[in-house]
Amino acid sequence: MGNLYYNKTAQWIAYAAFFAALAIIPMRIDDDFLLNQLATYGVYGLLALSISLCWGFGGILNLGQGIAFGLGAYGMAMTMQMQSQTVENPIPPIMLNNGLDYLPYLWWPFQNTASGLIFALGIPTLFCAVFGRIMFKARVSGAFFAIMTLAMLSAFYTIILDQQAYTGGVNGITPPSPLRLGSFEIDPYSSVGYWVVFFALLIATVVAKLITQSSFGLVTQAIRDDAERVRFLGYSVSGYETVIYSISGFIAAIAGCLWVMLVQYVSPAQLDVGFSISMVIWAAIGGRMSLIGSIIGAFVIQGGQSYLGDAFLSTWLLFLGGFFILVVRFLPNGLASLVEAGLGLIATKSKTATSHEPNGAKPFPAE
Amino acid sequence: MAGLLEIHHLCKSFDTIKVIDDFSLEVVEGTLCCLVGPNGAGKTTTMDLITGRIKPTSGKLVFAGEDITGQDEHVIARAGIGRKFQVPAVLRDLTVRQNLTVAFSRQTNPFFNLLRFNVPGLKDKLDEIATLAGLTHRLDERAGILSHGETQWLEIGMVLMQSPRLMLMDEPIAGMTEGEIEKTARIFKELRKSTTLIVVEHDMGFVREIADVVTVMHMGSLLAQGTIQQIESDPRVRDVYLGEQEAA
Repeated sequence: MGNLYYNKTAQWIAYAAFFAALAIIPMRIDDDFLLNQLATYGVYGLLALSISLCWGFGGILNLGQGIAFGLGAYGMAMTMQMQSQTVENPIPPIMLNNGLDYLPYLWWPFQNTASGLIFALGIPTLFCAVFGRIMFKARVSGAFFAIMTLAMLSAFYTIILDQQAYTGGVNGITPPSPLRLGSFEIDPYSSVGYWVVFFALLIATVVAKLITQSSFGLVTQAIRDDAERVRFLGYSVSGYETVIYSISGFIAAIAGCLWVMLVQYVSPAQLDVGFSISMVIWAAIGGRMSLIGSIIGAFVIQGGQSYLGDAFLSTWLLFLGGFFILVVRFLPNGLASLVEAGLGLIATKSKTATSHEPNGAKPFPAE
Repeated sequence: MAGLLEIHHLCKSFDTIKVIDDFSLEVVEGTLCCLVGPNGAGKTTTMDLITGRIKPTSGKLVFAGEDITGQDEHVIARAGIGRKFQVPAVLRDLTVRQNLTVAFSRQTNPFFNLLRFNVPGLKDKLDEIATLAGLTHRLDERAGILSHGETQWLEIGMVLMQSPRLMLMDEPIAGMTEGEIEKTARIFKELRKSTTLIVVEHDMGFVREIADVVTVMHMGSLLAQGTIQQIESDPRVRDVYLGEQEAA
């Protein structure tokens, strides 16, 4: 019997168990504020998933995932803002306050909810496709690519901060009412908001998992291992990198939309460098080579930040930093590698023991 | 019969140093050509130029009637040129099975591969190559833990998975045992029936056994070309290469 960690069926069972556990939560919790907070963790989970896909399976370290997240978030905020504008009052207050008495072209697509959502998801994905294409075609990789994403992120941050009349500047956009889809209003402080995030995370995880198991996923893992070698097998490395980077950006854009749906607010802080780096830290601590490990990493770190962070204030950052160093030093593949090692141990034991049990190990939540 | 690969007046300079200097070669389909020469003669650079890893300063490369000069690596690989590297390059974090699967690169379109979970024809080919390479019992091991000889075999296996029309083998028997070398020679002779090979090798015993044509390079140029008997009796070759080797 091999290590259960690599068993595909066991992996799917672990995924099913994980999502079943997440599905029980709203049935047990009655506190709407808490549900809203847990739903935002789901959004962080989506972001960690997108990093895991791009970095863990594609070998592309992306320190600028805040670009896709932020653009998605702004797109959603603009859509929700326009939903609350009426015929008598067609111009959002951020423009009026900044001396703009007409709706700029930038905002036009967001007047309609459907087209607004398409733009909110499409623009970040398109950006990733174009930026990725340019970078990967020129064979920018590793730390150099990470620096480029960081530079891009800072550029977006500055532009958004600077264009106050169009973006609300440092105050951002605060849509006055929740997102309406048709006649249905998604109340962020209710189980409905939680379920929307839950299904987004579920679908994204299943799709991401299928991607990693497809021929495409195998090629990206080969590229992570040795991009140079893969070229000589006939694969266009830049093509594969662009596609996985764009898929990752698309998931981050979904996360951005959902985040604004939950908090009804967006500001340049969502494109802050620190936030994008935290996404990488979640994936690194949870295990970047494990989709579910990364998601759990996001839950643990953000949960810790919310509860311990309040108690310890800035000392929390010291804890986090120390924890990060420990993980990188002793568990380079994150907490998921503990599960891998544990299951490996069980596999070796059951091999040596003359046990008649066909399956000695329990399915752990394993990648 | 026209050459499968034609190299016309190939030149490559790094700064002012001419590494490849007006090198021409024609490789006939269905032959095994051994490329020999002293260290620094430009053998590996020639391989790099053929496979597109580096672009020539001047000259022309024609493969199966198509001009492939200056094309990207993956385009040349798709045209049907497979390569084994001097330092064995396998995907060390992936299993032997995954290495061979990736090398089975019939379909290279990323979008198409997103929707593909079972590759038709893969299993038979993989079984065949794994048996040939003697890696059947190692299929689920990580490639990084293989011995040097096994790594060499895995990379040869990867080239075979590609089923290329032309195989470039850069020092395929380095680090192999006597038995493994014999096996390699046997397989190369078998391969020659269906495909074309260029083999870079220092071991003259191995070259003697497998080569149809031997090409000797010296200082980036063609020094001599012919059968192994012609080469071994060529006084210029003895001077720059074989003589050196005997003295060593």
